[in-house]
Amino acid sequence: MRFVIRRLALFAVALFGISLVVFVALRILPGDVASIMAGLNSPPERVAALREQLGLNRSLPAQYADWVSALCHGDFGTSVLTGRSVGAQVGARAQVTFPLITLGLLIAMALGIPLGCAAALARKPAVRAAFHVVAIIGGSVPALWGGLLMILLFSRGSGLIAVFPSQGFPQAGWSDPGAAMMSLILPACTVGIIVGAGLMRYTRAALAQTAQSDAVAMAMACGMTRTQAILRVGLRLATAQLVSVIGLTFAEMITGVMVIENLFALPGIGAGLITDVGNRDLIAVQSELFMLAAFFLAIGLIVDLLHRVLDPRLQSAGDNAEVNA
Amino acid sequence: MSNMTETSNTTDTTTTLTERNERKNELPRNAAEVTTTATRRRKPLIVVRSMWSHTEGRFALIVMAVWLAVSLISLIWTPYSLLATDGYHVWAKPSAAHILGTDGTGADVLSWLMAGSRTNLLIVILTIACAAAFGLLLVAAMVSRHSALAGASVVAVDALISIPTVLLALILAVPLGASIMVIVVACGFGYGLNLARVARPQALLAARSAYVEAALWSGASSLRVFVGHVLPNIMPVMLVQLSLSAGTAVLAESGLTYLGIGVPSGVPSWGHSLATSVKFINVYPLTVLWPGLIVTVVVIALNLLGDALGDAADPLANTQLRVVSKRAGTNPAGDKGSAA
Repeated sequence: MRFVIRRLALFAVALFGISLVVFVALRILPGDVASIMAGLNSPPERVAALREQLGLNRSLPAQYADWVSALCHGDFGTSVLTGRSVGAQVGARAQVTFPLITLGLLIAMALGIPLGCAAALARKPAVRAAFHVVAIIGGSVPALWGGLLMILLFSRGSGLIAVFPSQGFPQAGWSDPGAAMMSLILPACTVGIIVGAGLMRYTRAALAQTAQSDAVAMAMACGMTRTQAILRVGLRLATAQLVSVIGLTFAEMITGVMVIENLFALPGIGAGLITDVGNRDLIAVQSELFMLAAFFLAIGLIVDLLHRVLDPRLQSAGDNAEVNA
Repeated sequence: MSNMTETSNTTDTTTTLTERNERKNELPRNAAEVTTTATRRRKPLIVVRSMWSHTEGRFALIVMAVWLAVSLISLIWTPYSLLATDGYHVWAKPSAAHILGTDGTGADVLSWLMAGSRTNLLIVILTIACAAAFGLLLVAAMVSRHSALAGASVVAVDALISIPTVLLALILAVPLGASIMVIVVACGFGYGLNLARVARPQALLAARSAYVEAALWSGASSLRVFVGHVLPNIMPVMLVQLSLSAGTAVLAESGLTYLGIGVPSGVPSWGHSLATSVKFINVYPLTVLWPGLIVTVVVIALNLLGDALGDAADPLANTQLRVVSKRAGTNPAGDKGSAA
């Protein structure tokens, strides 16, 4: 219980810290943001109006207080360039990013977990080494390059096996599910293979660790074969670890697919954020960065708490550690 | 330190406590640390040699050596000047004049890749230094005897570790623009947190051991205890983690540079070469092959380097590092027993 309270308190402190960091990072921009946004040769009245609109003519603490109190009311501000609310803008982008990373994670799990189990079960050194090399190569390919190879191999137009559209997301969005899905397959495969390689290493390492545990030895003593014992007992013991890794991976993929979204011209969260940074869309960038950071902190919190629920051994261990620390 | 051999010879279970206290500075720190001055000096050599004896380690060492050599050569010589463009041979196929062909401005691809390797080397070295410094600081806080500081730093690492480096890089890129510092600071921060989390169990084990207790009782400062007793114990874990981080840093460079928040345009780097050829992939697919291939091979090598280092630098896995301690006449098991 002490752990939960401490963790929650730190979550609040970290949120505050991140909001401060984001705010300061955006305010120490060299030059006058308003005149950059208004463009060259724009009349001074336009710049002044923009300053007024952005609230830049007020003191920094006042600006910060305004922003935070709006955030607390669920108001993420309005993008000055598009005139749309930042919340709605992010919501629209999430409709591309979340299907993409869900599909990618499913592919990664379908590849990574069975391969990881196979690698842990393999006994011949040559086979183990082969699995190891596969995992390393899969994790060493730059996402950009992997995506390019996918385009070269499988896209309509330039691909050797022309099946999938090479870039873009249908204008109609999810009202045409077939076309939308088709445009997500290549990027999801690229992400899935790269993430899957990492997942494979984790699965192998976690299983190898539990394979040496007393529980697995006990199961084998009770008559299970090594394969049975590792898959039934070892995998169960490793579940807590794997769930937290998969949870963190899923969260990381939101920004991790930034490069892929850019390459495949998908209007997702990451690609949109990069565009906003390029446009110096102050309010949008500020709120989006904060939203993402808050989201990651929340995921970290949930995973930590979930981990303790799934693995009761940690609770007592954690209490002991606190006494020792 | 100079008469370590003599000390080691006399260190057995019959040594009285007073004698031990008198030799507090010369006492072996733990089983793995019982080495003579001679082996202390030869230690890196032994590690490299045992890495070389495995195929993976040899591959990693060769790639590292080539990378270093090419970076140094590119400082004084590249086949063509980076600014030399040949407008008549844009997107040239590989030929005798341009071994890897030319890009969209007619610049020599090989020259740019060679020059890029030194930028990437610089980024990796700076990132690793940053991560090591930050990570060690966190480890020191995590294992410190101030329970408030230790508890707070453990929870802080847990909370901050979920923030991805790309997001940090974006926050930094807003005021700094595209710059090498964005990659170095964002990655150094992220990898430092990872390092702290990975090294904590080992560090805690060492920091709570009897030999640290003894050192503190005999008046050693916390800094001395950390550098002399905790650091050697987490060194193998740290080397592995840092070389894995080096691989991730190379990947991060290519990604961030493509997004326009990494290496500024005009500065040669592998990510830059990759990013500039992306736009023309449908027309000239061949040029995109080389930078991607180089990054992949280097990252594979850094991963294998981590594996090989983990086996070679850990005295528990690499018996060669322990040979001398046996000859010195100590009984590692006995020493461990007394420490436990």
